[in-house]
Amino acid sequence: MTAVLEPDEAATAPWISAYRASDVEITQAVTTPLFRNPGKVWWLALLLSAPFMAWFVAALGWVFYRAIGVWGVNSTIVWGVAIADYVWWIGIGNAGTLISAMLLLTRQRWRASINRFAEAMTLFAVAIAGLMPIVHLGRPIYAYWLAPYPNTMSLWPQWRSALVWDFWAIISYLLFSLLFWYVSLIPDLATMRDRTKSRTGQLLYGAFALGWCGSVRQWRAMKILHTTMAALGVPLVCSVHSIVGLDFAASLMPGWQESIFPPYFVVGAMYSGFAMVVVLALAIRWGFDLQAIITREHLDVIARVLLMSSIVMGYSYASEWFMGWYGGARSDRSLVAFEFAGTYAPLFWALLGCNVVLPQALWFPRVRGSLVALFAISVAINVGMWLERILIVWNTLSHGYMPSLWRAFHFTIWDLAFVIAPLGFFAFLFLMFVRLISAVSMFDMRELAHREDMA
Amino acid sequence: MPQVDELPIKTASFCSPRIDRRRALSLLAAGIAGGLSACSRPDEEIVPYVTMPDRLVPGEPMKFATTLALSGYGRGALVTSVDGRPIKIEGNPKHPASLGATDIFMEAAVLSLYDPDRSRAVLHEGSIAAAEAFRRALLEQNQLMKQRQGKGLRILTGKVTSPTLLRQIDDLFARFPEASWHAYDPIDGAGASAGTLFAYGRELDLVPHLERANIVVALDSDPIGHGPDQLRNARAFANGRKQPAGGFSRWYCVESAPTLTGAKADHRLALQPAIIEEVAIAIAGALGSRARAPAMPENVQRLVRQISSDLSSASGGSIVIAGRSLSAETHALVHWINARLKAPLDLIERIDRTPSGRQGRTLAELVRDLDDGQVDQLVILGVNPAYDAPADLDFARAARNAPFRLHMGCYADETAAISNWHLPQTHPLEAWSDLRSPDGTASLVQPLIRPLYHTRTDHELLALLADGIDASPRDLVRQTWQPNAGADFEGWWTRALHDGVISGSASPPVTPHEPKIPELPRAGAPPGFSLVLQPDPAVWDGSFANNAWLQECPRPLTKQVWGNALTINPRDAEPFGVSGGDVVSIRSEHGTVEAPVVIDPAAAAGVGSLTLGYGRTRAGAIGDGIGADANRLRAVKTPWLLAAASISKTARKQDPLTTQNIVRAADYVAELYPMRKLAEAARPVGSPDPENTSSLLPAAPPRSGDEYAWAMVIDTSLCIGCNACVVACQAENNVPVVGPEEVARGRDMHWLRVDVYDHGTAHSPALGFQPVPCMHCEHAPCEPVCPVAASVHDSEGLNAQVYNRCIGTRFCEANCPYKVRRFNFRGYADGQEYANLGLESYRAQKNPEVTVRARGVMEKCTYCVQRISGARRAAEREDRRIGTDEVRTACQSACPTNAIEFGDLNQSGSKVNRSRSDPRHYALLAHLDTRPRTTYLADVRNPSSRSDGDAE
Repeated sequence: MTAVLEPDEAATAPWISAYRASDVEITQAVTTPLFRNPGKVWWLALLLSAPFMAWFVAALGWVFYRAIGVWGVNSTIVWGVAIADYVWWIGIGNAGTLISAMLLLTRQRWRASINRFAEAMTLFAVAIAGLMPIVHLGRPIYAYWLAPYPNTMSLWPQWRSALVWDFWAIISYLLFSLLFWYVSLIPDLATMRDRTKSRTGQLLYGAFALGWCGSVRQWRAMKILHTTMAALGVPLVCSVHSIVGLDFAASLMPGWQESIFPPYFVVGAMYSGFAMVVVLALAIRWGFDLQAIITREHLDVIARVLLMSSIVMGYSYASEWFMGWYGGARSDRSLVAFEFAGTYAPLFWALLGCNVVLPQALWFPRVRGSLVALFAISVAINVGMWLERILIVWNTLSHGYMPSLWRAFHFTIWDLAFVIAPLGFFAFLFLMFVRLISAVSMFDMRELAHREDMA
Repeated sequence: MPQVDELPIKTASFCSPRIDRRRALSLLAAGIAGGLSACSRPDEEIVPYVTMPDRLVPGEPMKFATTLALSGYGRGALVTSVDGRPIKIEGNPKHPASLGATDIFMEAAVLSLYDPDRSRAVLHEGSIAAAEAFRRALLEQNQLMKQRQGKGLRILTGKVTSPTLLRQIDDLFARFPEASWHAYDPIDGAGASAGTLFAYGRELDLVPHLERANIVVALDSDPIGHGPDQLRNARAFANGRKQPAGGFSRWYCVESAPTLTGAKADHRLALQPAIIEEVAIAIAGALGSRARAPAMPENVQRLVRQISSDLSSASGGSIVIAGRSLSAETHALVHWINARLKAPLDLIERIDRTPSGRQGRTLAELVRDLDDGQVDQLVILGVNPAYDAPADLDFARAARNAPFRLHMGCYADETAAISNWHLPQTHPLEAWSDLRSPDGTASLVQPLIRPLYHTRTDHELLALLADGIDASPRDLVRQTWQPNAGADFEGWWTRALHDGVISGSASPPVTPHEPKIPELPRAGAPPGFSLVLQPDPAVWDGSFANNAWLQECPRPLTKQVWGNALTINPRDAEPFGVSGGDVVSIRSEHGTVEAPVVIDPAAAAGVGSLTLGYGRTRAGAIGDGIGADANRLRAVKTPWLLAAASISKTARKQDPLTTQNIVRAADYVAELYPMRKLAEAARPVGSPDPENTSSLLPAAPPRSGDEYAWAMVIDTSLCIGCNACVVACQAENNVPVVGPEEVARGRDMHWLRVDVYDHGTAHSPALGFQPVPCMHCEHAPCEPVCPVAASVHDSEGLNAQVYNRCIGTRFCEANCPYKVRRFNFRGYADGQEYANLGLESYRAQKNPEVTVRARGVMEKCTYCVQRISGARRAAEREDRRIGTDEVRTACQSACPTNAIEFGDLNQSGSKVNRSRSDPRHYALLAHLDTRPRTTYLADVRNPSSRSDGDAE
């Protein structure tokens, strides 16, 4: 596979590492892999993800058939992997919108090469996240009772419950992500329509491109819509994670009832989301030969974001411990002691290592420059963030107010299924996405190239 | 009943895999014929209601008095029956052995009635046989018996207190004078009756009156623990501990294995049984006996000095009770002590004697006769010696020496397996009979339902044996009582049935001569490791092993379910090299069993304890194959104490299944289970009045005068941890059993749990019990978090759960500080039941007034809202308010000590209001401002003021 856009390490521009990047070159670099035979790597990846996808479908079916008793949840620790998954996946979904919306508003042009797949990542991650609270229900067929629909019994949701807020947060975030992603996709869909040779492709891309012909009027309308949505998106992305935090904070349990939770969850979400972006960016960059478009400079910037987030996370953890001690309530102090030395202490230490200690290596430019190190740290952060979410659930519920019912979670094979298999499902969706839709926003890249005087 | 349930339990020869066409056709024809004949006409007359009986309203529950037996002794019960189905058992307030309360065995009897594993058919050599075939076989034997005057006939029963059965046994002897009757109960305290033999020269029964005792000393005995007399003793304990000023009793307990009495005692010391015998000698010595000098360590001597001085200062109001593991000589010595103290204790003639004074011979004698080949016909009535006889008798082997072995029982159990013939027995709730309670009071047993299967009572079998006739058990019982009733027998009979007790039938006390002090054996060398056996506090002697409620009832002191374990002291764990959860092999002279270890600081050093009732092999789908069979270790001479036992570690590990932890962390105990010494009982325990604590939340809605405000107060000083409330709640509220696998995952469903707190020190634990139902918080944390308003508050203060609105987010339980909600993680009553619990017959037990919850919904204590609503209907019919303390929850009415009070806060005279103003009143986790409606009274103990630390 030869790259259309030859990467050039010596290039002066930070965001396009090539000597020259004309409009055509950029377009070709992005679209060529789509119209080519996908190649061994893609097929291999699909083959690898397929069993996980099947596993996920089977696990969903089994949970619906045999009830959630197949998990290790019990009368004390009534929540488990599904809730941790939900928080984790919605955290992953955070980065796409942040990159697109926040960076668009703050005119960070380097976002051009990564925003498309980051948004796709958001969409898939939020979709998976949205599935989790439904699967986790005792009676999932009645999940729609959270919606205020007219019914003969005049029953409405109970608005004081954080879960109802959550329902709205997820729904609005999912709809927003989909629309935001689609709006910015329209010009590229038109490009694809024009370049594909397959009749079906032309029809489908054409239908979704909504008659885009690149007129100034269209560009203007699209830009206004996109920027407006971005302005809407930033508060939304903060609210969705704050509300996830409120799921815990609006309770009475030690370790949950903390006012730091909403901002702490937003940062945590950004943290795991950016780590996932690094993982995916490295994969796409390598798989589609986009070294020229997704440059080391990009990775360096994201690594700095990760470093900053890890410091904020460390601060949040420390303030939790401090407030637990300073508040003086026995239940809180005892919980902090339990976190460090209780049943799940090894996991807790692992989470501190992954989320706080290890990312400090990113202070060193050499580490930020090493793709292997960056990849490893990003995976570690994602593991650490999953551990953080599961431990928020496990620690508090295992060590509540009544010592008579302190218990441990019994991890089952179906819990494992819900940790691993959704990743396969996600990978499957992502592989489909990179084959059907340009993984990098072409028009944004062309614009960037012009601004950088590279075109 | 579907036909499939009536298939033989053993594959008959015709079920061989090859079935040819002819065979298939003949089976088909037989099947059709069987199906047609299954609904046979009832033997008695049924006429549709032409005139409806006065009180019968379809769907309205009715209550009938009857009597249920535990180890042969009767306890009066009131059984609730809905449309002819008994569904719930409560105590009969008029009956002296029940006093309106129940124990777990009474509560659970209603489940056993519907047990699909009950024996339903006559078995011959293990396969189903025709009733006629049995009749012919018995006739044949009858001829033989007649020829030989009954020589060779042996009847084996349990402890028989039924006057009718005792009369029938006399009748049998009139016909077969050479026969022999053996009576045997695996829980019998043989030492007690042998003790009276030593002291008084004859065997007598003891009726202690603890309600009149100020000082109670339990020597390795458990008067308030499970047993036939538990309810009366527990009520006496409670009555003795209600008045803070004077008259507050003090309990000493010196024991070798943890018991409920030990947990509630003011002073407890765990010692080896041999040293407890020395304690008895020392007490007797202090009271002036000239028995030999005791040998015991210094700290025990201090306690003995305290006990002796208390005993003698409260003469006439103090009593010493000796337990099963002590020798007959020590029992006799305790009789002497009690006589010297003028203890409130009656001696009565043994109540298991026939009118002619005949008493059952022992099981050991039967085995000797069997071994000598003297037995031709062995008739076993309702007992299971093949399982529960001591190992050294080897009953199963000996029984085979009798050519004709007939077993009658509710289950085709281990003994049925070694018999030629097995007859299904009628369940007590289907039967006519009569029983006596431990004090001799007789009461009738009347059927609540026509027998579900073709079964017989023991009365019918004895009549068949003696006279070869099918007698009606009702007539047999009436014949027994006819002479007592006076002129108006029908009136007497109706009254006896209605009251559930025969007035004036208690045994009169006898006044024997001054007891003799027996010759005491010399103090032996300090014993090594010994093993004490106890009846199981849930499955008793194993006869309740197939009862799922009892299997899943957490043992009071260890919280273990679905099995038993060897309990040892931490100091013994080290030399044996075992830790909790290790499976050890326990060896006695007679056998070896394997059981997991529980390390319990309450156990006496040098003594292990193991409960009976486990290791059943033919109990049924629920009880088979769990736990260790302690009977395999037992010896007939010392059935409760195995002095030469040894344990060795095996490679296996098996953590005993428990439902919850025992709380020992001192700061948690101090907050959640405050305890006061009697002298300080007037000092307030609770936090300041929760109404006045400042809160950002709006105040609770004012209590208007015409609404009810339900509340519960639980007195932890009275709670003895007996679990009656737990099983009562399960029976009343259709609470499912989840099975051992689900318990292992932490998913037991009990709406009411009993938390155990240890407010002692590391070496001398002192346990207290705290039943925890739903708190029905006024500021309930579960309510605002439910997204669909399934958890809501009603106008009377109930925190209600709307099952059909619940979608199962479980946020309510996650946010419940008390963790009292229970979630149906599977369809525990809805298609995914444990073992055979989903079978049709069990459904008949369900309370029709309580929803059976579906999979995926949350459930919890409702304060028995169906009972509140029943009382409301009654009150509205009569146009009045619900009376003060009119509503009684299931847990409350089960409680033998009246520790649970329930009522209306808006009625100033209600008991809950009185208790709420008690200085001992406190709310659990009051600082969370949940304002619970369920609150507690702190525990009070009455240790001796002379006590020094280490004797406690």
